[in-house]
Amino acid sequence: MKKKQSFLKKLEPYGFLLPCLAVFAVFLFYPFAKTIYLSLFKTNKMGQAKIFVGAGNYLDLLKSDSFYNSLVVTVIFVIIVVFISMTLGLIGAVLCNRTFPGIRFFSTAYALPMAIASASAAMIFKIMLHPSVGIINKLLGLDINWVSDNRYALICVAVLTGWLNSGINFLYFSAGLSNIDDSIYERASVDGANAVQKFFRLTIPNLEPIIFYTLVVDIIQAFQSFGQVKILTQGGPGESTNLIVYSIYRDAFFNYRFGTAAAESIILFLIIMCLTLIMFKVEGKGKGGN
Amino acid sequence: MAGQNVISAEKLKELQYRMNLEAKRKRQVKSGLLICGNVIFALMILAPLLYAVSIAFMPSSELFTLDLNLVPKEPTLNNFIQALQRIPLIRFVLNSFLVAGLITIGQIISCSLAAFSLHFLDFKGKNVVFMLIMATMMLPGEATIISNYLTISGWGWLDTYQALIVPYLTSAMGIFLFRQFFQSFPMSLYESAKLDGCGNLRFIISILLPLMKSAIGAMAVYTFINAWNMYMWPLLVTGSDSMRTVQIGIGMLDSVDSQSLTLMVAGVVMIIIPSISIFIVGQKQLIKGMFSGAVKG
Amino acid sequence: MKKRLTAAVMAAMLAVTAFTGCGGNSGNVTEDTTAEDSAKSENSAAVAGDVDMNGTEITFWHAMGGVNGEAMEYLVDQFNKENEYGIKVVSEYQGSYDDALNKLKSAQLGNMGADLVQVYDIGTRFMIDSDWIIPIQDFMDKDDYKVNLEENIAAYYTVNNELYSMPFNSSTPILYYNADMFKAAGIDAAPATFNEIEKISDALKTKGGAKEVISLGIYGWFFEQFLCKQGLNYADNGNGRESAATAVEFDSNGGALQILEAWKKLYDEGIAPNVGRGGDAGLADFSSGKAAITLGSTASLKQILEDVNGKFEVGTAYFPATGDDDKGGVSIGGASLWALDNGDDKKAAATWEFIKFLVSAESQAYWNAQTGYFPVTTDAYNEEIFKNNIAEYPQFQTAIDQLHDSAPQYAGALLSVFSEARATVETEIENMLNGKQTPEEAVEKMASSINAAIEDYNLVNEE
Repeated sequence: MKKKQSFLKKLEPYGFLLPCLAVFAVFLFYPFAKTIYLSLFKTNKMGQAKIFVGAGNYLDLLKSDSFYNSLVVTVIFVIIVVFISMTLGLIGAVLCNRTFPGIRFFSTAYALPMAIASASAAMIFKIMLHPSVGIINKLLGLDINWVSDNRYALICVAVLTGWLNSGINFLYFSAGLSNIDDSIYERASVDGANAVQKFFRLTIPNLEPIIFYTLVVDIIQAFQSFGQVKILTQGGPGESTNLIVYSIYRDAFFNYRFGTAAAESIILFLIIMCLTLIMFKVEGKGKGGN
Repeated sequence: MAGQNVISAEKLKELQYRMNLEAKRKRQVKSGLLICGNVIFALMILAPLLYAVSIAFMPSSELFTLDLNLVPKEPTLNNFIQALQRIPLIRFVLNSFLVAGLITIGQIISCSLAAFSLHFLDFKGKNVVFMLIMATMMLPGEATIISNYLTISGWGWLDTYQALIVPYLTSAMGIFLFRQFFQSFPMSLYESAKLDGCGNLRFIISILLPLMKSAIGAMAVYTFINAWNMYMWPLLVTGSDSMRTVQIGIGMLDSVDSQSLTLMVAGVVMIIIPSISIFIVGQKQLIKGMFSGAVKG
Repeated sequence: MKKRLTAAVMAAMLAVTAFTGCGGNSGNVTEDTTAEDSAKSENSAAVAGDVDMNGTEITFWHAMGGVNGEAMEYLVDQFNKENEYGIKVVSEYQGSYDDALNKLKSAQLGNMGADLVQVYDIGTRFMIDSDWIIPIQDFMDKDDYKVNLEENIAAYYTVNNELYSMPFNSSTPILYYNADMFKAAGIDAAPATFNEIEKISDALKTKGGAKEVISLGIYGWFFEQFLCKQGLNYADNGNGRESAATAVEFDSNGGALQILEAWKKLYDEGIAPNVGRGGDAGLADFSSGKAAITLGSTASLKQILEDVNGKFEVGTAYFPATGDDDKGGVSIGGASLWALDNGDDKKAAATWEFIKFLVSAESQAYWNAQTGYFPVTTDAYNEEIFKNNIAEYPQFQTAIDQLHDSAPQYAGALLSVFSEARATVETEIENMLNGKQTPEEAVEKMASSINAAIEDYNLVNEE
């Protein structure tokens, strides 16, 4: 009797996990396994595995210029997005660090982009960036076709994404700043440090754990940007904004080559995983092990 | 040096007063600068939204001009009215509320239970399970969407609410958030409750729940907004007006050969309003919950 | 931390290998169902005389949003009210053409079925090969039905002398011009070729006040039309009409090179700057009064007039040719109606009744007036509503004349991977304009990339 009870007790922790794990199993682990399976096949127009090609899809990808282009474009994109979203978030957080009249309004404003869907934002940017009727060219007196020129298209999509992601970064950084003890600033003031020195010598180092966390989340998120590319540039001009995720979408739902798309998404998963592991490793080293 | 330092009490008082005044003025200048900086930065961040609102009130001929058109010259509600007439936007909004609401509630329940188990209880494979869950954050959605579609259609769930809701009933992010939040509680809280004969479920409901309010608030706002903004999955599994969510419905204002930009922007503005309102109302909770320990680790 | 993550990765890998087995199984299951599907595809083109259709409900998937969607809803309501058989049509908008076709593909695996679906022009080959449909010809033969379809429209959907789908919303590309600028520049006739555009460009800029001569969107459809204008084939096997194409022909017959060279020339001279990708990319520059000329679908006429809103007079002319001696015509774009074979006679018969209603002279005249698509039947020209519309929008006459001046042999190509091919063409044109490659290289890349896609497709989709 007692044994049975303790057996049930042992099962209890799993019981609490059951709802989560069930959903994960059915809608994440199983489909992911299936994706790996599909990536080993050429698929027909219905998306069914038809001809087994083993690593063929992967080899084709590694031989394809277009795929390398996607990788390079994605990396550049992620760097710009992370830089912009972190900078915007940090500026907002610093501006709202000390209380002043109206701070609630401003802090809401800075966090607001996180509430906007990428598709909606892209539609707005599409009009803003239009070469002849868009407000950007009109205000700056320029005549640049932002999203159709391969020099600017990627930057535009990245700025949009950076803007969208800046809201949550603002929240992260605000929280980080409010955790810094004010007394260290006072001590620094006594030592005669100016504002800029204080920012780089005290604020940034104290924010480091949060900056690291934000960096990881931002990178993962930036890799998965999709809606804005679909609406703003469709991967063009040429293939200058053909991010991996968009190229997966195209291969899967437009060209109906699920096998290739599956292989691409596995590679993307591996890249994100490696990056995360590397970042944690670097972070661990910085802290002197542990 | 010694001779100079002889100052009368009165003079000292006056000096003190002046210094205070100076400091006050300095503070005022500082806070003035701060507000200035904030106004400029806020304008920058909000510019796209303000511009969208402005376009939504323009007749389409005012958008298609080479002149500067920051604000509508003849503001009109026509775009909004037409957008509402063309698509059953109200129905889409209700659908989105229902779907996003149920997803939010579901995630809060499933994630808090899982996080409870992962933090307070001890069992075999705990770390493996936790890491497995965290690893799902790295999975690109595209990698699973095809198979998920087949699963859902195999169950005969296409074009139903459950197809929109069930796959999203849990999230690694939520589990992570709650688990981090629990770490700020002393383990003794749980142990003493246990000694008093309090079962796990009762511990969660009567002790943990009241303490988790801010974390739940944060989670709710975050989840709701994400669910509200879902795009690819609803596009795939919904097939009729009665099931469509706003992000998909808004696409119906677009059309192959007759694209009216002002109309679309009016639609966009209308669907942004609910998510922004939720955000403004819940922002305080969001900040409080997200950061009471969540990111320290 | 490090250890934990490594453990997680190991676990993930393990889990994945464990699940792969299941993945394999379910793959087989789905394959079995399709085998069943194709086995049952003995067509059943039932018509009104065969069955009693009272209370039959059919589902109609379309891809018409905006103004066009409204007109579509009106027609559906009208049919539901008027039809004498008690048929009820439930119409469902499925997003863009791509979305609608994608949904159809996946719906054939699932259970979200339709009885009638609107598919765009370039999905034609795919639909014919799909085994999911009942050819419209079967209904027409069985019902002894006669309709005066526009010859040049019907030609597109006719393969091996059989009409596969019912044309519904058809358009051609035309040239729109700013008549005020043309007048100011002293130009009487709209240009018919790229060379003529080049000739008048100086006058349009200096005297006409145009900031841009032609706003030419990078659109695969235009490329196809420029080929039709040359009377050349896009793909082999008679443009993919005799049997499924195995390779493109536009590289070997020189058609593509002529187009790209002419395009590049206008671009290099600053006459046709890069205004972006897609069918509507060029319209804003024109509507805002920046560009003197643009190319676009006839179906965009209404929107253009609304956006211009009387700022200037809009003129229309035939779609230009890229060469001076081009003798071909234009082909149509848009979409047609496909009856799906769901093995239900009642539904098939009801679907056919609804199709007949949609292409009736009255419906088509209404449709044309509301949307700017062609009436697919010539009978519509006699309707009052059509006459009023053409009086109000004389610009539309150009479109009709252009259609009648074309000929069935310029019907355009059928290709199973057309949407991909179109995107490839657009990408390579963009790369060419952005100075990454010469026209020759662009043609070569287009051909090799599309050929590879065709080969791949034919390989995996063999019966």
